[in-house]
Amino acid sequence: MGRYAVRRSLTIIPVLLGVSVLVFSFIHLIPGDPALTMLGERATPEKVEEVRRHLGLDRPIPEQYLIYLGKIVRGDLGISIVRGDPVLTDLLRRFPATVELATAAIFLALLFGIPIGIVSAVWRNSLVDSFSRVWALAGVSMPIFWLGLMLAWFFGVQLRWLPTGFRLDTGTAFEPWTNFVILDAALQGNWAVLRDALRHLILPAVALATIPLAVIARMTRASMLEVLSQEYIRTAEAKGLPQAAVILRHALRNALLPVLTVVGLQVGHLLAGAILTETIFSWPGIGLWVYESIESRDYAIVQGASLFIAVIFVVVNLVTDVLYAAIDPRIKYD
Amino acid sequence: MRHRTFALLVSLLLLGLADSAPAQTFVFGAQGEPVQLDPAVITDGISSRITRQIYDSLVKYKGATTEVEPALAEKWEVSADGKVWTFHLRKNVKFHDGNPLDATSVLWNFERWWKSAHSQHENQVKAGQTFEYWEAQFGGFDDKSIVEKVEAVGSHTVRITLKAPQAPFLANLAMFVFDIASPKAVEKWGTEFGKHPVGTGAFKFVEWKPNQEVILEANPDYWGVKPKVKRVVLRNIKDNSQRLVALKAGEIHGMEGLNPDDVKVVRSDPNLQILLRPTNTTGYIAFNYKVKEFQDKRVRLAFAHAINKRAIVDALYGGTGLVASQFQPPSLWGYNKELKDFEWSPAKAQALLKQAGFAQGLSEITWEDGKREPLVFWYMSRSRPYFPNPKEIGEAMAADLAKAGIKVQLQTAEWAVYLDKRKNGQLPVYMLGWTGDNGDPDNFICYFFCSPGAPREGFYSNKPLADLLLRAQSLTRQAERARLYSQAEQMLQEDVGRLFIANNQPPLAFSKKVKGYVTNPTGSEHFNTVEVQ
Repeated sequence: MGRYAVRRSLTIIPVLLGVSVLVFSFIHLIPGDPALTMLGERATPEKVEEVRRHLGLDRPIPEQYLIYLGKIVRGDLGISIVRGDPVLTDLLRRFPATVELATAAIFLALLFGIPIGIVSAVWRNSLVDSFSRVWALAGVSMPIFWLGLMLAWFFGVQLRWLPTGFRLDTGTAFEPWTNFVILDAALQGNWAVLRDALRHLILPAVALATIPLAVIARMTRASMLEVLSQEYIRTAEAKGLPQAAVILRHALRNALLPVLTVVGLQVGHLLAGAILTETIFSWPGIGLWVYESIESRDYAIVQGASLFIAVIFVVVNLVTDVLYAAIDPRIKYD
Repeated sequence: MRHRTFALLVSLLLLGLADSAPAQTFVFGAQGEPVQLDPAVITDGISSRITRQIYDSLVKYKGATTEVEPALAEKWEVSADGKVWTFHLRKNVKFHDGNPLDATSVLWNFERWWKSAHSQHENQVKAGQTFEYWEAQFGGFDDKSIVEKVEAVGSHTVRITLKAPQAPFLANLAMFVFDIASPKAVEKWGTEFGKHPVGTGAFKFVEWKPNQEVILEANPDYWGVKPKVKRVVLRNIKDNSQRLVALKAGEIHGMEGLNPDDVKVVRSDPNLQILLRPTNTTGYIAFNYKVKEFQDKRVRLAFAHAINKRAIVDALYGGTGLVASQFQPPSLWGYNKELKDFEWSPAKAQALLKQAGFAQGLSEITWEDGKREPLVFWYMSRSRPYFPNPKEIGEAMAADLAKAGIKVQLQTAEWAVYLDKRKNGQLPVYMLGWTGDNGDPDNFICYFFCSPGAPREGFYSNKPLADLLLRAQSLTRQAERARLYSQAEQMLQEDVGRLFIANNQPPLAFSKKVKGYVTNPTGSEHFNTVEVQ
């Protein structure tokens, strides 16, 4: 197990190097002169030259890459082209908002996805199953952008129950400690802010949870069906265990292993989905930030954030694999 | 425990009943995050919307026009040769940090903008910020600038001497970039001043929550019309549709950046209203004069008669567009009211083509170097206020042209590539446009037609037009200048130098509770007159 973890960890080094090459090439892959792209219609040739020099675009490409790699190894993700702030500082300030949203989404996805999957598998081909399968299919293919707008329109405009965006009401006086607003509000015992923060979290979390929920429900169903057909289940049933005990204690435990992998993979999708969800709900995390930076052509931010998201994705998958090995001793490197 | 959880969930839902913000606060939905709040170095509308509330300039645009009226300078004189301007500052005006506004502080601001060795100029440039608009409007820094001297000649009198008369001088000074900042505050914060702005404006800066909102509060000592609301919040809502949802939900009171299709939605909502910003933007089609066919005026005229501008404006501008007969939009004082637009007539277009020797229609072009290729019509890959749906507009124009026998292939490129090709004169015929900076006709028309034969303008060369425009630039009397700009539009039309398609009036949406919002063609809108009932 220990050896597996070490060897598995080593494999991420070439992956991360590959990611760094890709992220580095962004600026060269997009058509057109990046400096001109940034400056737009009113660019003067001198200004374009100045920006090219400023970005180091006048040096040979391999040299640019080595400089870039040296910087990221030292934790320097560059300076925002538009605002001049260090990318890493901004990234760390915005990341808690995204983690909060993604955690809420994955929580909702598990809370509803697993029971739906179980019910579907146990009462296979029943009305409940058909309904949840159609629902899961719809969920997987749902455009988050559209869903988010509909949720905001229905709960925000029609019913006026929930706010249509942001983490807190406008003008809320609150001094966050860690930028995890819910955590901070709870730690400070500020219940009014906690309630406000939860109200703001509901719609974006539901929108973001839709796809992972559907995926988890489908995976749980498939995995449960496989497990339920195995002989030890029949044995458990034959020895007269109540159905709930058979399903929850014997079947579910084994069925959840593949689901765990899916949850790990969903983290990547959650970060991608966060770009849309955060944009729709004006949620000040890295997703909205990346979207804004793409629009304003702030390459430093787009590169820094892409690298960061890629690293998170790789690390989460590493952790999932190692966990998997911890749960299932049959997994090892041969 | 379980009951408590349930109770919590229910109360969450019930407490969700949103109450609208109190009328003491005006919440405006902005299109994004400001870059920063130091007016001297910003160039974007989102930032300047905020800085215009915090600062004042020497002179300002009057109401909904681009005419200039007193602001921090209560009056001014100009010498007969148009080179020496004397501004008399309003007395007893204080910056939000308590320091007085006087001739020294105005002088300090000018030197900061103008002199590259000024400590608060140099540090900005080192940090990657440039004083872009000073360079553009006043010819450059240090000796390159058209400004020769700025002096404080009394405690509240500033004299600016120019090397040569500059017609748009006052209009330039009214631009948001030339808002006066507190010298003490700039020196205190250095390159961080953009996060701690201090001016003399109707609202004081309170807080900037990154990616969320900027909060301002009324300045009770404001010298002009006292603010009607206690607070202003500018909320950053990136998505156009979502911003409208927030407006409908009562979370914000006003917004800009409405999708053309949503204008109807707002008009049909009894709680909302639309305000149009007077147009300051024109979309055009430009010809490349290295293409032999386009050197023939009859061919250009055939294009002019073939395109049904009225139909395009009606169908694709969400009801906020206007048919353009000339380059300057009607809000500019150089606009030629007498000018008649080309008549839409496919038959005339066909006849003109026939006269020009294209009885079979036009579908191929010949470049000056002899290269022949199919006629490609370039449409923009990005939406701009002057062409909000460039692809659809391009398709509509291509269909119109086809009816007159001009068969074009539509093509586009990534925005930077598009601009690059245009700059190098590689596009045979293309769509583009312009949005004015300062309300002066010179800014609109001279940029394009003062340097005859430039590749950027498709090698269009009209020397008499350029001479006329340069003459207009050197005069200071508005009436005289207006006559020349009006004449310039006529020359441009007689030559069919370029085809002007449409102006747009960017729509803003507000709750009906909002009163007193005055739109301005330059986008410089002050919230001190805004009331929320």
